[in-house]
Amino acid sequence: MEQGKTQISRRGFLKGSAAAAAFTIVQPHVLGGPDKVAPSDTFGAALIGCGGRGGGTFSDLSRRHKLNIRPLAMCDVNLGRAQGYQKRFKGECKVYQDFRRVVERKDIDVVAIATPPHWHALISIAAMECGKDVLSEKPMTRFVAEGRAVATAEKRYGRIFQVGTYGREGYAQSAGHRATRKILLSGAVKKTDACYVRPGGFKVKQWDGRIDQPPMPIPADLDWDLYCGPSPLKPYTKRRTGGTHRDYWDYEGGGLADMGQHHLMGPAYAFGLDKTHPVEIETYAPPAHPECAGMWGWSKLKYANGFTLVLESREWGEPSGMKSKSIKLEDLSEQQRKIVDAAPEPEKEIGFGEAVKTRQPASGNAEVSHHIVCLMHLTNVSIRLGRSFKFDPVTERAVGDEEANRLIDQPMRAPWHL
Amino acid sequence: MPSSEEIKALVAKIPELDSKDTKNPLLKTRPSEGKLTGPTWDEAVKIVDPIIKGGKEAVAAVVDMLKEVDDGTDYKARYVLHILAQYVCRKGKDEEQSLLADALIAALPGRAKPIQGFLIRQLQVCADGKAAPAIGKFLLDKELGADAAAALLAIKDGAVDQYRAALPKATGKNRLQLIQNLGVLKDTRSAGAMKQAVTDADALVRMAAAWGLANMGDASAVDALIQAADAKETWERAQMTKACLVLAENLQAAGKADESKKVYTYLRNTRKGEAESYVREAAAKALGG
Repeated sequence: MEQGKTQISRRGFLKGSAAAAAFTIVQPHVLGGPDKVAPSDTFGAALIGCGGRGGGTFSDLSRRHKLNIRPLAMCDVNLGRAQGYQKRFKGECKVYQDFRRVVERKDIDVVAIATPPHWHALISIAAMECGKDVLSEKPMTRFVAEGRAVATAEKRYGRIFQVGTYGREGYAQSAGHRATRKILLSGAVKKTDACYVRPGGFKVKQWDGRIDQPPMPIPADLDWDLYCGPSPLKPYTKRRTGGTHRDYWDYEGGGLADMGQHHLMGPAYAFGLDKTHPVEIETYAPPAHPECAGMWGWSKLKYANGFTLVLESREWGEPSGMKSKSIKLEDLSEQQRKIVDAAPEPEKEIGFGEAVKTRQPASGNAEVSHHIVCLMHLTNVSIRLGRSFKFDPVTERAVGDEEANRLIDQPMRAPWHL
Repeated sequence: MPSSEEIKALVAKIPELDSKDTKNPLLKTRPSEGKLTGPTWDEAVKIVDPIIKGGKEAVAAVVDMLKEVDDGTDYKARYVLHILAQYVCRKGKDEEQSLLADALIAALPGRAKPIQGFLIRQLQVCADGKAAPAIGKFLLDKELGADAAAALLAIKDGAVDQYRAALPKATGKNRLQLIQNLGVLKDTRSAGAMKQAVTDADALVRMAAAWGLANMGDASAVDALIQAADAKETWERAQMTKACLVLAENLQAAGKADESKKVYTYLRNTRKGEAESYVREAAAKALGG
């Protein structure tokens, strides 16, 4: 028998249980025992982004995802906010202004990210590069190329990543939605006129942008350069922070980027839109403003198999005139039904907590979430071009359209890059 | 060409920002004070088409309406210039695209820096490689260097020549940006400068250079990156490890299996601690173990 260490970390326990070759004696507090939680079940946790969504995102780790966490770090470019959050926890929780000092800590296992979206991808990637699992606020990213980089990091480092929006899990529990998904992913249907219209709920006017914002003195406890991060360094104005950042292309992309992932995670599951991208995007909107997201009327995202996803703001312009139309088994030929019957059932969806413990991909993992958030980004690209464009779902680039590609993969300010 | 009064009158046709009295039949929700609703594209074309047809002087007249401080009081002029940048990128508008880019470039000299930054960002939207030399002049500017670098990176054509020309004289953040962007563009002709920069006194430069070489898939950088990945157990070590993994992936994809294997083997053998076990596992998996 081999004498074990007095305390086994979560990583050590998970690896040992996966391929135990040696018999190890462990002390009772490690096993848990009455009134004790084993370290193997306890996760060092950090919150990066202590603004309006910080508390909810961080508490989701334990309340929704049932992870037993030790809050170890609160981080915000506005030091005062980080200090305010730190006061909620016991003494070992430290305050940071720079997320790099958080993710390089060895005792942090999982990171909750609730910064504005222009930081979601970079911090998610950095955390995974340092061996952490990530729960990120939505939208997952600010532009298309970021999502591919996050998915690559998730795969490269074998980490768990989840976007904190949960409509997909609800849809996956519906037999009807699972059946639709199975039909569309079976390969039985080469061409469909199925359509899903999402009418409203995008908070377009709420986040379309205040243009009349003069520059202001930078607050003393705010690192404005770090706040801007990869985005252009523009004069500080309060509206560029604290929720109203949603107005701006530099940090988010209006109400569409804010709400789209909430509304579409579920339908994307049902219609199999998490496996590919649209091939043509057409929008109806006013000309884009250089700084603020502005209004829009509708977006039609057409897929190679004929499926159309329509987003309607219901806040500007006339609606698209399209109606939702699903697809059912009774619509198919006998041969098609046989193909569907033989196809595998949709995989079980698992939550972030279970994913962290079992190392299986989470329901809203990077690959899935990237395909969905791209629907918003591609819509915004079309709006910002003032025209439609074609997209290659494999290369994730616009087809023969360099102006579109400038928005699909955007430059970043050093030292930040994908 | 329209007179300056006619230009001002065109710009003035951009709708006012929302007020509680705003009556816009296209707005299906309540207007919100100070917020943007905007024209339709049909309305916008009636404004910008005469301007672009009026040539460089007409565009310059709109630029003259910009104020140094972006506080919303010149919102219409800014909006018109941005609409122009989108408009000229439509199919069949090559002449207009060229004219607008030339007009914006011609408008750059002598303007206040915030206005120059705004114009450079419009060039980022609509210009092609012919604008690269004019934008490249700003790469060493303390305030505008990042904007210029971003615009060139978006345009791509002509960017590396400008970056390489500026690099020897660049310092501080501008130097870091140039090294990073050369890496993004996978400029293999910069590999020599990058290899030198991997041992720079500035950690950010070291990391940017290492990642740039990795992104290029430069097989001759294997030893340099392996050595760099021995950094102390901090952020830099994680970034240098990333560079090694990216390099190994790119080498594998390019059919350079031996060089790729060398990198993965190094990572598998050196990341012994529990804290880096995920790197060891990633490397082992890549090696087929």
